[in-house]
Amino acid sequence: MPRPRLLLLLPSTTYRTAAFVEAARRLDVELTVASDHSNVFGAEQPAGLLALDFAKPERAVEEVRAFAMAHPLAAVVGVDDDTAIVAAAVAEALELPHNPFEAALAARDKHRQRVRLAEAGVPVPPFALRRLDEEPDRLARRASYPCVLKPLRLSASRGVIRADTPGEFVAALGRLRRILAAPDAAACGEPARWFLVESFVPGPEVALEGLLEEGRLHLLALFDKPDPLDGPFFEETIYVTPSRLPNQAQAALGECAARAACALGLRGGPIHAELRYNDAGPWLIELAARPIGGRCSQALRFGEGEGRASLEELILRHALGLPIATCERERVAASVMMIPTPRPGVLRAVTGVEAARAVEGIDEVLITAMGQELVPLPEGSRYLGFLFARAPSPAGAEEALREAHAKLGFDIVPPPVDAAPLAHRA
Amino acid sequence: MSDEIRITAEPLDDQRCRFDVSRPVYPSGVRRFGSAADAQGSPLAEAIFAVAGVTEIIVSERTVTVAKQTAAPWPVVGKQVGAAIRAGLSGGAPPVAPEVRRTDPAQDDTLYERVAEIFATRVNPMVAQHGGRVDLIDVQDSTVLLRLAGGCQGCGMADVTLRQGIEALLRDSVPEVAAIVDITDHAAGTDPYFAASKK
Repeated sequence: MPRPRLLLLLPSTTYRTAAFVEAARRLDVELTVASDHSNVFGAEQPAGLLALDFAKPERAVEEVRAFAMAHPLAAVVGVDDDTAIVAAAVAEALELPHNPFEAALAARDKHRQRVRLAEAGVPVPPFALRRLDEEPDRLARRASYPCVLKPLRLSASRGVIRADTPGEFVAALGRLRRILAAPDAAACGEPARWFLVESFVPGPEVALEGLLEEGRLHLLALFDKPDPLDGPFFEETIYVTPSRLPNQAQAALGECAARAACALGLRGGPIHAELRYNDAGPWLIELAARPIGGRCSQALRFGEGEGRASLEELILRHALGLPIATCERERVAASVMMIPTPRPGVLRAVTGVEAARAVEGIDEVLITAMGQELVPLPEGSRYLGFLFARAPSPAGAEEALREAHAKLGFDIVPPPVDAAPLAHRA
Repeated sequence: MSDEIRITAEPLDDQRCRFDVSRPVYPSGVRRFGSAADAQGSPLAEAIFAVAGVTEIIVSERTVTVAKQTAAPWPVVGKQVGAAIRAGLSGGAPPVAPEVRRTDPAQDDTLYERVAEIFATRVNPMVAQHGGRVDLIDVQDSTVLLRLAGGCQGCGMADVTLRQGIEALLRDSVPEVAAIVDITDHAAGTDPYFAASKK
């Protein structure tokens, strides 16, 4: 019997390539990787490598349909916001298990998402859609404070700015306009000409990782974010699981995410949600039909012993209809730090790595931006690297990260005057 | 010179971890040990294979790359491997035996020539389009050891190029190749063709 073929949609700048490719190898499936740039081996290995324009799902559908005539597909998996949409479109066309295309679109577009959630009674912050070219003072007068300005399409808190006064609003809008004028952001097209103004919701924020199976949510992990995210920018640093919030709050957050996924029409596959919790209960801030970003999934392992699986393996198993032994995370607490970018420049060297690795509980110190240009939030989109820890308790896992981070030193030099644009060079 | 042996462990994934050692381990090249039997006569490899779950060792210059098949995390296994490396380096005998005990050295030599030819005529001209290079380090027990450089080192798509491109090409052209092991230090890559970003 032939092995099932998996089509994996991997953007060329994702951090997740190694984890997904490795998971596919473990499952011993035939793998085809589609990316947004041609691989140099594409002509030599046409069954294993495809190039697709992820910004044009309709065209991608036609190309995959033709490909699948010669190489029948068992599943299509996207790994980020854009490829989740393409995966839904392709799977729909090939009659494979999938999320409805409309649901994937709604999860991708922050405004469409909020409208659907509000209509379904899911608690979301009050919001308004605004044109980027509207007169700033007029928009500032119409806002209530504190508020948060958000682009519709950018990810990882890029372009998200809090304003407490009309003056801050006008300044934030000016900055957001410059961010959305950058070539990679402007490439979004029409969504780059709009933004959201949303009430700031106080309270601790969590990240929820889940897997939908026929509309039912398996809660895989709930991460606390112990560093306050009160603005003016919202740089994510530490994630720790299991959550230390009261059980009742955790249950309410899980239920809120499940209702949100249902309201969007999502039926299967991974979800990643950002929520807040305060006296009014849970608030859904964002929900995406994809797994956690960056290298953070490395903090998650499911099951114990030899059968332990990665998040990527769970996702691929679900997509291929293979059995999943357990969705229970391992017993120990786990944490990850996305090492923040302290200032612009080029990362030339990192000191203290050995000392950081020696900190009890530290699993890994991963520097991913060596030699690369760094731009802090809200304009930037790159971390210096990642720290991972495991410990008997969440507090221990958090403390290990902080101790290890304190041992690291970053030699960041000014960028060359003729530095290439931030986007990759292809 | 201090007698202290400093070792830095860098997990590559759940299965593999690279140990950078402050002393030369195997200055004369690269050697792979696929089993405890293979390690006989090389004190360093013997000591590492005594650690539960270790399945493969690759030594080169000042680096030891260890593969395991056990659920124990690298912070636990790594300490045992570190102690084994120190023990292997502390004896009077060379830590790695000079002769390579291959199951079929003649076949490895033949494979090396065929793989080198493919790298020179097909692989490297292609990766050069992205400023990359693939160095064939050795073929041992039908396992190809390679290192990526230039635009491939640290590239976000390196795993795709390696598994879907190079490995698939070798599988088609040289089916006798049993496996491919990438011994690249990707974290040290400063000019990747595709640099990963937050999402």
